[in-house]
Amino acid sequence: MTPATGVGRPGFAWAAPAAVFFGLFALVPLLLVVVLSFTRWNGLGSPEFAGLENWSKLLDDPVMVKSLWLSLVLTVLGVVVQTPISILLGVWAAGHQRNRAVLSAIYFVPLLLSITAVSVLWRAVLDPNFGVPSQATWLFGDGNLFGVQASALGVLVFVSTWQFTPLHTLLYQGAARAVPQVLYQAAQIDGAGRVRQFFHITLPQLRNTVVTSTILMVVGGLTTFDTVLILTQGGPGTDTTNSAYYMYQKAFKSFDFGTASAIALLLVLVASLVSLVMVRLSGYDKMRSTMEGV
Amino acid sequence: MRKRPNYLAGFGSLVWLFVVGLPLYVMLVATFQTRTEYAANGPLGFPENFTLDNYVNDLNDGFAQYFLNTVVVTVAVVGIVLLLVPPLAYAIVRSDGKAAGRVFRLFLLGLAIPSQAVIVPMFYLINEAGLYDNLLGVILPTAAFAMPVCALILTGVMRDITSELYEAMTVDGASSWRIFLQLVLPLSKGGLSTVVVFSALQAWNGFLFPLVLTQSSENKVITMGLYDFQTEHGVDIPGLLAAVVLSMLPILFVYLFARRALVQGLMGVGGK
Amino acid sequence: MKRHIRLLRTAVVGGASLALTLSLAGCGGSGDGAGGDSDTIRVLVYGDATNKVEKQLVDTFNKTSKVKAVLDTIPGADYQSKLQTIISGKQAPDVFFNWGGGSIKPFVDAGLLMPLDDFIAKDPKLKSDFLPSVFDTAVVDGKPYGVPMRGTQPVLLFSNEKVLEEAGVTAPRTWDELLAAVKALKAKGVTPIALGGGDKWPTQMWFQYVYDRVAGPELFAKAVKGDKDVWASADSRKALGMLKELIDAGAFGTNYDSVKFTDGGSPALLATGKAAFELMGSWEYSTLQDAYPDFVKSDLGYGAFPAVTGGKGNGDNIAGNTNNFYSVLKSTEHPEAVAEFLKLMYSDEFVKAQLAIGNLPTTTNTPKFLDTAANPEYSKYQYDLVKKAPAFQLSWDQAFPPAATTTLHQAVQQFFNGQSDADAFIAAMQSLPAA
Repeated sequence: MTPATGVGRPGFAWAAPAAVFFGLFALVPLLLVVVLSFTRWNGLGSPEFAGLENWSKLLDDPVMVKSLWLSLVLTVLGVVVQTPISILLGVWAAGHQRNRAVLSAIYFVPLLLSITAVSVLWRAVLDPNFGVPSQATWLFGDGNLFGVQASALGVLVFVSTWQFTPLHTLLYQGAARAVPQVLYQAAQIDGAGRVRQFFHITLPQLRNTVVTSTILMVVGGLTTFDTVLILTQGGPGTDTTNSAYYMYQKAFKSFDFGTASAIALLLVLVASLVSLVMVRLSGYDKMRSTMEGV
Repeated sequence: MRKRPNYLAGFGSLVWLFVVGLPLYVMLVATFQTRTEYAANGPLGFPENFTLDNYVNDLNDGFAQYFLNTVVVTVAVVGIVLLLVPPLAYAIVRSDGKAAGRVFRLFLLGLAIPSQAVIVPMFYLINEAGLYDNLLGVILPTAAFAMPVCALILTGVMRDITSELYEAMTVDGASSWRIFLQLVLPLSKGGLSTVVVFSALQAWNGFLFPLVLTQSSENKVITMGLYDFQTEHGVDIPGLLAAVVLSMLPILFVYLFARRALVQGLMGVGGK
Repeated sequence: MKRHIRLLRTAVVGGASLALTLSLAGCGGSGDGAGGDSDTIRVLVYGDATNKVEKQLVDTFNKTSKVKAVLDTIPGADYQSKLQTIISGKQAPDVFFNWGGGSIKPFVDAGLLMPLDDFIAKDPKLKSDFLPSVFDTAVVDGKPYGVPMRGTQPVLLFSNEKVLEEAGVTAPRTWDELLAAVKALKAKGVTPIALGGGDKWPTQMWFQYVYDRVAGPELFAKAVKGDKDVWASADSRKALGMLKELIDAGAFGTNYDSVKFTDGGSPALLATGKAAFELMGSWEYSTLQDAYPDFVKSDLGYGAFPAVTGGKGNGDNIAGNTNNFYSVLKSTEHPEAVAEFLKLMYSDEFVKAQLAIGNLPTTTNTPKFLDTAANPEYSKYQYDLVKKAPAFQLSWDQAFPPAATTTLHQAVQQFFNGQSDADAFIAAMQSLPAA
């Protein structure tokens, strides 16, 4: 018994304004990026057609390859570090105890700061001579955090974690509260301990949230830019120059808009590939309610 | 069955409290010291000669104007998103044509377009439209780039409205307008508050668009104020941190008075 | 059929909302643009503390001129990026701040700038009232494109005299004395030299001076014109060897890449006695004066970069920013007004205002007013230094076009922290685009 098609259903016109707006400010620029990637242009005068020059230069550019690799490293590290912390904190905060509510409120504070503010703050806190490292040499040594690749990447991952963990914690907190209590009661009757309950009930029930949270982390990770610009400027050398920052550098420091556009396209390709895979895996694109099958 | 306290979790939560709290502590104490005192005291020292000068100087330096600009941008972005995305999501969920589905795929693709990728042509377009160094030039692209996630959230919520409810109204001969206003919107409240929070945060945190598309101090948003502070006042760490504190005050205010809605909205980002 | 009607409706609704968006956009745009072009000249400067002098001059100008000047500023780090993106568009200023040399070369090549020959023909003082070594920095392809508009900023070796005294060291006059001082200071447990390596350009200052002392100014002059062989020359390798020796001696400590000048890190090291020297532009003085007035009064020392015995470069040569310049857009609608505005740059009012905030103008009438400077002794020292210098090397990253900056900065940083050796540095420099 299907309802008559068309009756009481919204037409395409409902989607049109949003589609046009989005097309104008996101898709048209994207098309222009494609065009620009085949041109030579320094922002003065008009772009000259350059064929595949930018692309062939990029393929030979060790910094480009390195920057893609660094984007990947930053993304993977971000997911690997943030996910366990957020799940644990989220499940913990889902409890209704008073002290948990108070602490959760404090945990939330980093999210009130903009990424810019957070980066500026950590740059000051981590100053080798006048920041925290000078007070804790047993931990930080000479405090050369920004002068060595491993620690510079570490700082970038840590700062993102510091800022975005509250968001992901909230996601998990909400999801954990939605886990039906009967499952836990049943497990307790079976004599399952806390750890078993966590792994056998809580985690499986959080599956969908893991997907959502991971998508957000991956998209955020691939496009990390503000923190790089403010904390490391891609240094030391090119050791933290991820693709997003490399693209910015090519465009607005070296004024090579053609190459910058080619990098931008590569970035879009990688990001859409990743999100396509994840959307497939999660079944987001299926017209299916999460209520179905319950 | 009585629960025994979870010591391990308690310990872990205190460790995280330290991680979150330490930089906030450093930030706060630094802002109440003069530069000389901060350099001599170290980051952990407590101010001996308590001063509010850092805050006063920042406010005199134009931060009040930056606030106002940021608020304008945020409100406008949220407004555009609220106007455009709910009908879109409704069409995606309920339309029987193929077109809406295609549009949805386009928006899913949009999830993967980082704003950096289009910044060069965006600059060009905004400049051609005469919107360079104009808040509207920041508002429009920011809103466009907030839309994919908002569309994702809202379609998720609207799909959870059971088809029985739709059919009940359709049988009564309700138009799609009436269904939208009387059924879909009321039942999507949670998703809508999530969308508001998400797009507001996007606007509030916006960095790259204002960085490239604005220049004068009349059109500066807070993030730019902070970023520029470093180059204009080089050595003034306490002043800089005071600006950071100022930049978070409005949101802190919202947080204190509307904590529940904000938190609920953010929880909603995850869906179920 | 039904579907077609719906499509039509779609198009109408969509078109209407698009039109709405655009008309909104249009309102905002025209509201702002109106009055921008007609009777004004727009002056664009680098945003920092000197802006108050620029504001004062604009006010002076507006008192008598029918065409009004409007001052716009772009803060620090993004000045060059913003400038290049707007200069060929609707937002282009009539007159703008720059560093001369490579910073305006791309604009000259694109035919955007007005040669100032006509202005100078009408008012010769626009050239003759400035020190020639400074004025020449903004001469591109034989034509003048800029009028000096701020202070000269030679790079000096600053020191904390108390720390030097405690280590039994005097200010080094030669490279060998510097190496000896480094050793003595290290033994005392202080970082011999503060370096804001996180900013990269402070690291570059060491290259500028050592190359000048070893090879003379000619090497770089050739390099910037596109001669790639000079980088592989014996002099070049000798300079790199000396730098390497200094780095390996621990002169800069180990964490300099995490330190910045721009966030106050490296000057603080000097002022608090954690380091003994810092090689920095003359603005270091006012930076320190702001943050550590007591230190400036009692213990701040300054001097020229040490000489290198047997080197080809004169020990009196200096490097740094010769000055900043105002250049004029060819498309300006009010060239006469612009010429009048530029004349203020050698006026007594300008000189006095710059001196009062610690800048050192490079006009010929500057010596008259040196006593009125914020720090007369420091200003006189610098003025004499600049006047007697046989060569004034423009900072490398200003001499090359902006497109070279990133590679240049990375190369100096990687050489300092050991990521690359002399060969890699030479290869990087050879890859730079010529000015």
